This record gives sequence, C-alpha cells and structure tokens, in this order.
Amino acid sequence: MSSETILKTSQLTKCFGNLIAVKNVDLEIQRGEIIGLIGPNGAGKTTFFNLITGLEIPDKGKILFKNHDITFMSPHRICKLGMSRTFQVTRSFGEMSVEDAIRVGAYNRRGEKEVQKKVDWVIEFFDLSDIRRSKCNDLGLASLRQVEVARAVATEPDLLLLDEAGAGLTGAELFKLMAALKKLNQETRITLCVVEHVMPMVMGLCERIFVLDAGELIASGNPDKVCNNQRVIEAYLGGGISLETGFTG
Amino acid sequence: MDVMIQSILNGMLMGCIYALIALGLSLIFGVMNVVNFAHGNFVMLSMYFTFWVGTLYKIDAVLSPLITFPLLFLFGILVYYGLISRTLREHYTIQIAVTVGLMTFLGAITQLIWQARPRALAYSFVQGTIQFGSYTIALSRLISAIISLIIIMVISFFLARTWPGRAIRATSDDSSAASLMGIDFQKTYALAFGLGSGLTAIAGGLLMTFQQVDPTMGLRFGLLSFCILALAGLGSIAGLVISGLIVGISESLAMSFWDPRARTLVIYLIFILVLWLRPRGLFGRK
Amino acid sequence: MNVFKKTNIGKLLIIFLIIFALFIPFILGSNQYQVLLATTVLLYGVMATSWNIIGGLAGQLDFAAFAYLGLGAYTSGTLLIRFNLTPWIGMILGGVIAAGFALLIGIPLFRFRIKEVWYALTTSALVEILKVSFNMWEEVGGPVERCLPYFSGSLLHMRFTSYIPYYYMMFAMLIIALFLNQRIASSKLGYYLKALGEDESAAEVLGVDTQTTKLKALLCYSFLIGMTGGIYANMYGYIHPSFFNGQETTKIAILGIVGGRGITYGPLLAALLLVGAQEYLRASLGGEFSGLYLLIYAIILIIVVLFKPRGIATFVQDAYKKIITGEVKNKDVV
Repeated sequence: MSSETILKTSQLTKCFGNLIAVKNVDLEIQRGEIIGLIGPNGAGKTTFFNLITGLEIPDKGKILFKNHDITFMSPHRICKLGMSRTFQVTRSFGEMSVEDAIRVGAYNRRGEKEVQKKVDWVIEFFDLSDIRRSKCNDLGLASLRQVEVARAVATEPDLLLLDEAGAGLTGAELFKLMAALKKLNQETRITLCVVEHVMPMVMGLCERIFVLDAGELIASGNPDKVCNNQRVIEAYLGGGISLETGFTG
Repeated sequence: MDVMIQSILNGMLMGCIYALIALGLSLIFGVMNVVNFAHGNFVMLSMYFTFWVGTLYKIDAVLSPLITFPLLFLFGILVYYGLISRTLREHYTIQIAVTVGLMTFLGAITQLIWQARPRALAYSFVQGTIQFGSYTIALSRLISAIISLIIIMVISFFLARTWPGRAIRATSDDSSAASLMGIDFQKTYALAFGLGSGLTAIAGGLLMTFQQVDPTMGLRFGLLSFCILALAGLGSIAGLVISGLIVGISESLAMSFWDPRARTLVIYLIFILVLWLRPRGLFGRK
Repeated sequence: MNVFKKTNIGKLLIIFLIIFALFIPFILGSNQYQVLLATTVLLYGVMATSWNIIGGLAGQLDFAAFAYLGLGAYTSGTLLIRFNLTPWIGMILGGVIAAGFALLIGIPLFRFRIKEVWYALTTSALVEILKVSFNMWEEVGGPVERCLPYFSGSLLHMRFTSYIPYYYMMFAMLIIALFLNQRIASSKLGYYLKALGEDESAAEVLGVDTQTTKLKALLCYSFLIGMTGGIYANMYGYIHPSFFNGQETTKIAILGIVGGRGITYGPLLAALLLVGAQEYLRASLGGEFSGLYLLIYAIILIIVVLFKPRGIATFVQDAYKKIITGEVKNKDVV
C-alpha cells in the first residue's frame, strides 16, 4: 500500500438551514486503498460525497485531492482531475444505450480515435457485452448498477466513489460486483471509497472503514476494530448488533 | 426633480398592480414548477373579457372581477386538467411547449376576434385626480394600487391560515411528502392554477379603468411578471411586492427620461441583469 | 444513431430528394412568385434544422431564431450600405454578431443548475426587444425601411434579377445545416449534449462541462442563422425592424418540436409540410389570415405535444424500421 495521500478533508462542514449535515470531518485516504464509509441513515454520507465531488459547496473546511484544492471546484473539473462517482438512486441516461452511456464517460480522457477502444475494454471488464445495445431504461436494477459503475470507471478516475452500489442486489449479483471492484483495484491501483449499508460488501472489500453519525466522524480503522467500537454500535442501534451480518442478535 | 418624483409615484402605483399579476405566476411556478408562458396573455384575456362585459352589460371595470374572476378561475382549472396535468411527467421542454402553444393560441384568437385596434372602456366611476402638493395622482391608479395590495394581503392570509392555502404551501415545498399527508396534489395544483389565473382577472379589471387593451399586450405583461418573479425569487410575498415596485418605478422612469418606447426594453434589461448577477433573486429561498 | 445512413435504400432516397430539389426552380419555370415561395419554405427549413442543434440536441427551448436572423440581416445590410462591403463577407460577420449576441444570453443562463425555463423565457422576449431597440436606433435606419443599394445582377453584391440564385443559396445553407446536425450528433459534443439532457448532475460528474457544451451548440445555431440573415437581407433588398418578427420566431420552435427534436430531418419535415401548406394557402387565399395560420400552428403544437411528444418524424422512423428490418422495437432485457 503506497503512502501517498490522495484525498484529504479538513474540518469539512455543511449546513442546510438549521441542520448540520456534515460537521468538522477530517479524513484522509491513501492511494490504492479500498475505504468504506458507513453510518446510520441520515448520517451525512451522501452529503459528504456531494461535497467532495463538487455537487455541493461546503460552508467551512477544505478538500485536497491529489494536492489540488478542490473545495470550490466544479464537478466536471474534478472529474477531469481524476475523481468519479455513482449515485445512491441510479441516475442513468435513460434513453441512451449502455454503450453510449459508457462512451460519455470515456470521452473524459479519450479523443475520437481511442474512445471506442476504451468503451470496448470497459464493457469487456464488466461483462456487459450482452446488453451493450440495450437502452438504459430497459435494464433491471443489477444491470443498471453495473452500468453506473462502468460509466464512472470509463472516465479513468484515480478515485472512485460508490454510493450504495450494493443496495438491492442479490447475493450472486453482489458477489459479481465485489469481484469486479477488487479486480479493478488490483489491476489499476484505483482508489475506492464505498458507502454501504450492505455489511458483507463492506467487510469483504474494505481495508479501512470510516464511520459517520449525525455528520460527525466517530470512528475509523480496520473493520474489526470498528465493529467492536462502542460508539459505533450505539450509533446503529441501542446495542446488540452484529456488524458482520447486519442483523441483530 | 418634480418630474422624477411624479414619475416615481406613478411607477409605484403601477408596481402594485404588477405585483398582483406576478403573484398569480408565482403561485403556479412555486407550487408545480411550471412556468405558465401564457400568463401575460391571461391578463390580456381578462382585459378583453372586462371590455366585453363592460360594453355588453354596462358593468363598471372595477366591479367586473365579480364576473371575470370566476371565469378566469374556471378557465385556469380547465387548462390545468386539460393540458398541464398531462405533461407533468414529461420532459420539461414538453411542459414549456404546451404553455407556449396556449400562449400562441390565445394571442392568435384575441387578434382574430377583437382585431388589432386597441379597445378601451368608457368612463369608470373612479375617474378624476387627486392633488398631493405639486403632484397629481389619477384616482383610478390609486384605487387600483390599493385594491391590488389588499388582494395580495388576502392571498397571503389565505396561504398562511386556511387549509387549502396551507395545502398549496406544503405542496410547493415537497409534493411527495404532502401527498403522503393526505393532500390531493392534483386538486391542489388545479387550485393553484385556477387561483393564479383568477388573480389576472382582478388585475385586468383594474387595468381597464385607465388603460386600453390590444393583442400585443400579452407579451408585455408576461415579461413583466417573469422579470418580477426573477427579481424576487421564490418564497416571499413581501419580496414580490418590493420587486413589483422596483420594476414599476424603473419602467416609469425609463418612459419619462429615456424614451416611451423603451418601457419593455428596460424591463428586459433588469431581467438579464438579474440572471447574470443573482439568479436566485433578491429574496429567494430556493 | 441515424438509421437512414446505414442502408443503401436510405442513401438512394436522399440522393433522389436532392436531385428533385435542385430541379424545382426549373419545374416552376419563370414564375418568380412561386420560386420565392419555395425559397421561403427552404428558409424555414434552414432555420428549423439549425434550431434542432439547440432545441433538439441540447434540449433548450429557444425562441430567438428571428432575433439572430434579424441581427445577421442588419449586420450584412448595414455593412453593405455604409462601407460597400460585399455581403459574402457581410454574411459571415452577420453570423459572428449573432453568435456574439447569443453568448450574452447563453453565458449566464447555461451555468450548471439554472433551469431551462429561464432560457426559454429570455429568448422568447428577445425578438420583441430587438425590434423595439432597432426601431429606436436611428443610425441604422430606425423605423424606416433602409434599402440596400441597387445592383442589377451583381454577384459581388449578392443581388440578382431572379430569385433562383437565392433558392440555391438557401438550399446550400440547408445542406450545411443538415450536415452539421449529423456531425454533431455522432461526435463527442453530441454525446455530451444527450447526456446532459438526460441528467445534468450525472453528466457533470462524468466530466461534462455543461455550460461550455451548451454554449457550443448555441454558437453553431446562432452563427448559421446569422449567416442566413445575410442572404435574407439581400433577397428582400432592404432592412427593417419588422425582420424581428415575434410570431414567426415562435413558429420555428414549433416546427422543431412538431417535427421531432433531436432527429436531424425532423424539423425539416415539419417545415416542408406546414410552411409548404401555409405558403400554398397564402397564394390561393390571400394574406389576410396571418392570425389564422398562427392559430393553426398553436393547435397543431398542442396536439402533437400531448399525443406524440417525440414529433411526427417518429412516424417515419417507425415505418422505416418496420419496412427494413421487420423487427418489433424494444426487446426487453433484464
């Protein structure tokens, strides 16, 4: 694991009226890591992603990405720098085909001559050949999530943020996604940050986990340490939750 | 200096009426996120109805809203169910296109029925002027402005205190949450549209006490209301009134000191300026 | 993306249409009035097809078509009157001025997350505002018709004794507009435009600079129409604020929507049908009924928008697909 910091937030804060969605979050991610970001609903995870990717502007704090200050940078320029993301509620390009949607991402780094090659590579990697010409509106949830991840990967990011990419997937579909992500990380040294409620995905994939609750960072460290952290357990339920399986008891 | 103050006074009075027109638009836009391109033509239509009612039944323009308000209210509801509701789930360009179609339709039909020459009513009972020191104020304008402000306050009360009014506010904040609370959002949308349209009837009647109407006025009133809406932003009725005053005064000053033909030009310039500098409006919440 | 191009039948059809169109002036013979009508139909075709770039591909409802036409006409005409500059250059400058003006509107309105409705509102008032402004602007003519200097049959000054050369110039512009539509649709710009039309936020995080992308489409459209304005001025031989025609500018957007936004030949189809019918009726019945035509346009728009929002060109697309492939569209894939 390289010791180069790829993302660093300092005192990151965002308020919506009286609601403090993200509060003084200090966070560091190293290049090549697979990071998990967990926390109860409403903890501010998606807002945090929105802040980093430029869809929201912070009220306080700084965001450094690859040593660039991206605190107030627009989303497309952040993508050009090398960060991309998927969305919690899939935002597909409904009327476009899978291939065309991925192509949009691929144009981030490739010109007209090379873009088709990149598209083909991504489709191959995520095993989407069967549906490459299907309209995104016609796809089922598992395929849609694959396409969203594929689309984001096509932009050739150094840091990929995944917002609940595993939600609603069955065991086999989940496994397929996890395997693809692991392979991607191993082959391309891409840094992944995964927001998840699906615990098996978090435990199986992540080397380090950050925990948000009510906008604040309450714990960080390797999965075992975090699972047994008292504050984390209390944040999710009143106690008695086994974070390994995601069920109580 | 005197000319300027006279001009400002006139502008303020007109501004109150313009704020009333803009309020109608704001209700519709705030609630269902649809900009009624035909709104200016609704005002023009109300003015023609007022003319028609006034000429046929000899009813004074000030009293005409008793007839034209229900007319426009019903028309608004018809338009909502007939046209708008069908496009709510479509692409935004479709929603815009349908109101543009309505605007074009109304513009063409008024031109065919009433022809291009301006129409005006014979004397209303609110004729005459009042003197305030060295300044002259037309009684019709003063009364129109006062009535406009009263109506605005009534609507404000309606939105804050009554059940349908609160339903409108809730729906404009969050329509899915509102429907979960038992608010029938279709009926609320229809009510907002009808109400927004009905308000143009009142404004139209007031305007006819001292103005004439011709088929090209729709665009002017439309531009006025959009400009006031842009300037004010969404969420504050007081902001709407203040913006109305600003626009009214600017128009009046432009006509006095620049060129009478420049009245719509200056409104447009304000509009563009707001979009360049502060797209959320001066008082906007969203 | 365009099924037509991929088959031989499609190519043959296009070639046949082009040849037919090229022969129309000779079919009409020496009837100058009819040639003018045909040229007018082509003019609307050019404008509607150019409109497709901003209205169809970029998904922005634009009502400023005649604003740019007028600006182009005034630029080219005024430069000819004042400086004797040949309209062949004046035309290009007309496009530049129109495009520059478009930027004034586009830059504030195309920023990320500004709603499309504000663009529609701003452009819909633009034509009237320009009419008023040019009416007031005495230096370039004011409310009086400013005639272009008279030349009988001068190529340099783009003045001819017959309408036929203008017909071919308009036709050339149409080909350019169609070609540009195709090129954009299959390029990076086209994909980016489609993406931001689907979901602006998703497009942004994938690297699409929504503001610049929309501006590029706007510049293409306004430049094309500005250039056409140069031809327009010389065709009529004068410039006047009435060029900024509010009724007609709405028609262009209507043609684009009714024809089929985003479909290259869609707006052209609508122009051929609607404007063709209108001009034919106008020739038979007389010009008293301009309000009536506008009414019909409005009704057609509302009907199409409610029942066939993707435009009438979809009838052609579906028919074509059925004939060629015999396939039922939309295989459902999970």
